[in-house]
Amino acid sequence: MLEAPLAHLPLLDVSGLRVQFGETVAAVRGIDIQVRRGETHCLVGESGCGKSVSALAVMGLLARGAHRSADQMRFDGQDIQNLSSSALQKLRGDRMAMIFQEPMTSLNPAYTVGSQMAEVLSRHRGTTRRQGLERAAELLARVGITAPGLRLAQYPHQLSGGLRQRVMIAMALMCDPELLIADEPTTALDVTVQAQILRLLQTLQRELGLAILLITHDLGVVARIAHRVSVMYTGKVVETATAESLFAAPRHPYTQGLLACVPIPGKIKRGDPLGSIPGTVPRIAPGFQGCGFRDRCAHAMPSCAGPIPLRDDGLGHLHLCQLEAGFA
Amino acid sequence: MTAAIEVVGVARSFRQSGGVFGADRIIRAVDGVSFAVESGTCLGIVGESGCGKSTLARLILGLLPTTAGEILVQGQRLSDMDRRARARLIQPVFQDPFSSLNPRRHIRDIVAMPLVAQGITGREQSARVDEMLTRVGLPGSIADRLPAQLSGGQRQRVAIARALVLRPRIVVCDEPTSALDVSVQAQILNLLAELQRELGLTYVFISHNLAVVEHISDRVAVMYLGRMVEQATTDDLFAAPKHPYTRALLASVLTPEPGLGVPDVGLGDLYPDPANVPPGCRFHPRCPIAEARCAVETPAPREIEGRRVECLLA
Repeated sequence: MLEAPLAHLPLLDVSGLRVQFGETVAAVRGIDIQVRRGETHCLVGESGCGKSVSALAVMGLLARGAHRSADQMRFDGQDIQNLSSSALQKLRGDRMAMIFQEPMTSLNPAYTVGSQMAEVLSRHRGTTRRQGLERAAELLARVGITAPGLRLAQYPHQLSGGLRQRVMIAMALMCDPELLIADEPTTALDVTVQAQILRLLQTLQRELGLAILLITHDLGVVARIAHRVSVMYTGKVVETATAESLFAAPRHPYTQGLLACVPIPGKIKRGDPLGSIPGTVPRIAPGFQGCGFRDRCAHAMPSCAGPIPLRDDGLGHLHLCQLEAGFA
Repeated sequence: MTAAIEVVGVARSFRQSGGVFGADRIIRAVDGVSFAVESGTCLGIVGESGCGKSTLARLILGLLPTTAGEILVQGQRLSDMDRRARARLIQPVFQDPFSSLNPRRHIRDIVAMPLVAQGITGREQSARVDEMLTRVGLPGSIADRLPAQLSGGQRQRVAIARALVLRPRIVVCDEPTSALDVSVQAQILNLLAELQRELGLTYVFISHNLAVVEHISDRVAVMYLGRMVEQATTDDLFAAPKHPYTRALLASVLTPEPGLGVPDVGLGDLYPDPANVPPGCRFHPRCPIAEARCAVETPAPREIEGRRVECLLA
């Protein structure tokens, strides 16, 4: 056993992650993700870019028919790539937990909130139902739900969307996880509720030292909550940086295009068109070579069909492009 | 300028069954709303889910009868018009281009449907369909495809083509970009703005995304539990919101500006229930500045500096 805890190492350390569906779809094409304790790492991109599949692959929750491989997948120093399914099941919901976009479909409609929450604890810790319910009540209060006793006895359909998402978060916290993977946790919610849920995640992170991997398409959410950001496009991370660096000086043409598409009140004159990215996302089959963005990129050149260098500015701002940063 | 749409004291309630033993509940989805939209302008309507904004859209489209009040379109009473006359004047674009297009019909037939309903057939029909598809930026080859073969953005363009093929004066857009990715959303917003300029269209643009509404609207109306609590020009509303609910909504917009953090919206956890509208000002249980009288007195709409606000304290 090691003397000192590996505090300086990332809690989640994944490199070269690939996911393929059959012979025709390469959903994730070799990405690296690192999440440290107390850090929020956002995986951002448009639909079909592979962000959700990456999260599911990390959790070992891919559907049958998907093929996953990786150079390395470590959780707290432990290899999780070759873990047996029962060992992985022990880890999931215990030390690593996940919340999804639509709480209504992830909660079981036939069981009360209390019994679903208590089951998590009895499964991982072998506690009694009563102990489970006590812990559940404590956590519901923790995530800002008033009258937790009442909510425990209710069914998911009796709760509003914001309450359901709070229940999901509380359920994910039942076993004191170290890593929380949140897939679009606020997308189905009203903006006012979204702000409340994001604040809650920040508070929980501060108090519990949670590492959060947050998957979203919303650049506003990313800017306000992320420490680090990875922008995904066609199964690749095309740019990764701290939130400050990424929004201040985006380097990949895709990131630049994406940021220009977002309307910001007061910044763009009414009547002026928003920026937009021409074309549509291509389908990427296994064996695809070169940059996945080249058909839509204004700066594309013949060499974009060849190997693409990963450029590093030495300060942790990386981007995958033939071009150096600095054009716009 | 003339008003393209005038809505006077419109209300719509629904009866929700209480089950075998429970009493039925009355849901006042829209509860006494008045506004006008000038011809050639865009009115944005914002609010949380359940505030009645989609019901209002269906009332303006004539898809639902009102329980009270009057809707005038180009000076005519909507309730006096038959379906065909209504369809020539006012058309919808809905949120979800996956469920609003018939999956078994070719794109050509989907866009031609309003023309068929008006008895326009043959060469004129196909010429207008082709013209409209080109106008919304779709290649002609798409006409013989099925919706399932199109991307989300292309489907929304088809929905816009269908809405415009009768050359209506007014288009009601209910969350037209909410199901789309940001880069596609920008394309569709640019297209809608361009079409408005060129065809002189009047828009009612419903969205929960305030940044989108700010970009496209000339005026904005904020709905809360079936009422319009504030109406103003977009510039006035965003520069200096008067109603505390508007202020909370604006505060909750997350722009891509790191370092600002996640705002404390200060609305509390009491989610509004349209079947159980609070007495007095209906916003008072969540209002950060509510006083005792807010729970008793119902605020009447007041004109303040060119805008209409329903708040006792504004």
